[in-house]
Amino acid sequence: MSEQKKTFVITRFDPDKDQAPRQQSYEVPVQPDWKVLDALNYIKDELDGSLSHRWSCRMAVCGSCGMMVNGKPSLTCKDAVADYGNRLEIAPLANFPIVRDLVVELEGFLEKLKSVKPYIVRAKERALAEGTHRQSPEQLEEFKQFSYCINCMLCYSACPVVANEPEFLGPAAIALGHRYNMDSRDQGQAQRNQVFRGEGTVFSCSYANECSEVCPKHVDPAAAVNQAKFNAVIDWLTGFVVSREGK
Amino acid sequence: MRHLLLRLEPIIWLLFGQGILIGTILLTGWILVVGLGVPIGIVPADALSFERAHALGASLLGRLFLLALLVLPLWKGAHHVRSLSIDFGGVNRDPLVATLMYAIAGFGSLLAIVAVVRL
Amino acid sequence: MARPVHPHAMTPSRPGRTRTAPPQAPSGWYAQPRMLRYLLFDATGIVYLLVGFVALRVVWALGTGPERWQELQRQLANPLYVAFHALALICVVFVAVRFFSLFPKSQPAHIGPAKPPPQPLILAGLYAAWIAVTAVVVLILAGGIF
Repeated sequence: MSEQKKTFVITRFDPDKDQAPRQQSYEVPVQPDWKVLDALNYIKDELDGSLSHRWSCRMAVCGSCGMMVNGKPSLTCKDAVADYGNRLEIAPLANFPIVRDLVVELEGFLEKLKSVKPYIVRAKERALAEGTHRQSPEQLEEFKQFSYCINCMLCYSACPVVANEPEFLGPAAIALGHRYNMDSRDQGQAQRNQVFRGEGTVFSCSYANECSEVCPKHVDPAAAVNQAKFNAVIDWLTGFVVSREGK
Repeated sequence: MRHLLLRLEPIIWLLFGQGILIGTILLTGWILVVGLGVPIGIVPADALSFERAHALGASLLGRLFLLALLVLPLWKGAHHVRSLSIDFGGVNRDPLVATLMYAIAGFGSLLAIVAVVRL
Repeated sequence: MARPVHPHAMTPSRPGRTRTAPPQAPSGWYAQPRMLRYLLFDATGIVYLLVGFVALRVVWALGTGPERWQELQRQLANPLYVAFHALALICVVFVAVRFFSLFPKSQPAHIGPAKPPPQPLILAGLYAAWIAVTAVVVLILAGGIF
């Protein structure tokens, strides 16, 4: 098998030892069919066992292995090493606090995700005797695309508003909230629109469209966020006409 | 101030959105003739003689056109300048910048109404 | 390039168990072509404000009287004003093209019972409206009709 050496410049940070993140270089003999993740695992297995990085499924469905590769947010299990030159810079996902090496703090994202109530909200649950909800293929199409999100957070690393406005809900959280708003089974639009117009306001989105450019699952969060703006405005307008019962 | 800005966001976004859509579409023809065509001389100057221009501007359609042309781009401009400020790390000064920009757009809009009415 | 990242970006409401390094962004982030185009899109706001206020001056002069109107026509013929309006035209076209490409997908699947047209139709409609309205405005202002 042909072997080639590539240089991997990796951000390292040990909170017990380092004041600030630093970079460390590794010479890696890469195989032609390797993904970036294979190279990282080689480094950990053969060169430096102290390297910390997240990964799981190796097939771009779990969303664990998101990192910056040469300045772009990427799923390292999806990106081929052969697509890059002889030097790869691997850094933790941009715009997130760094826990260690290539591992970022997820909790901030999970808080935003929870705040949009990402589940079916009913005014009154269906009685068992009524059977299941019925949903046509057309109704499913209205939100199906937005349900493909794997929470890899590449969109948060790409978004200039996430970088500059800590309160902003961000692409994935808004896209997921919008997915439920557009689900015919859901009756929680009023509650979610309150969140969408609250501190994390969807209107902070400036339609850079970077989130959709980097999304590995073609969710198109930019479309979801901007559709959510329209819906929030309709919700605001109808609020003048229709009185709301409680929250 | 932030709370007031949050409550006003839907209407600001509507004005901004129409500023891009309608404002851009109307501005193109305006710039082509008033900004470039007549000053360069491609369009004969008497097309915008005072008599003709005033007759056009003071008509009902003319006033509506001018009102949209003068008001909508201001809101697009104000919102995007605010956005630019945030792009360059300005979230702390945002309440100030947003208030300033929307005040400019609002003041300009009032002047625009007066300008169109007094034709 | 500056590191345009807020020190509290994506920071949870309660600190974790270990010390974290502050969030960072790649050093050339804003210099990437796509990001530059986005920043330019925002920056056209400055031009829109200026164009709006220049147009205000023009309409105000129209309401003042013929002498003031002639004076403003002379000012508009100044090469600096012409250059400004040339720049404004470029900005307006840039904004239109970018916005038209982003607009169709931003329409919700339905608002009440109303559904938007298919996205390619919306895009074609936007360009058709832009060309048609511009043509009408130019014809009217330049003396072709009325």
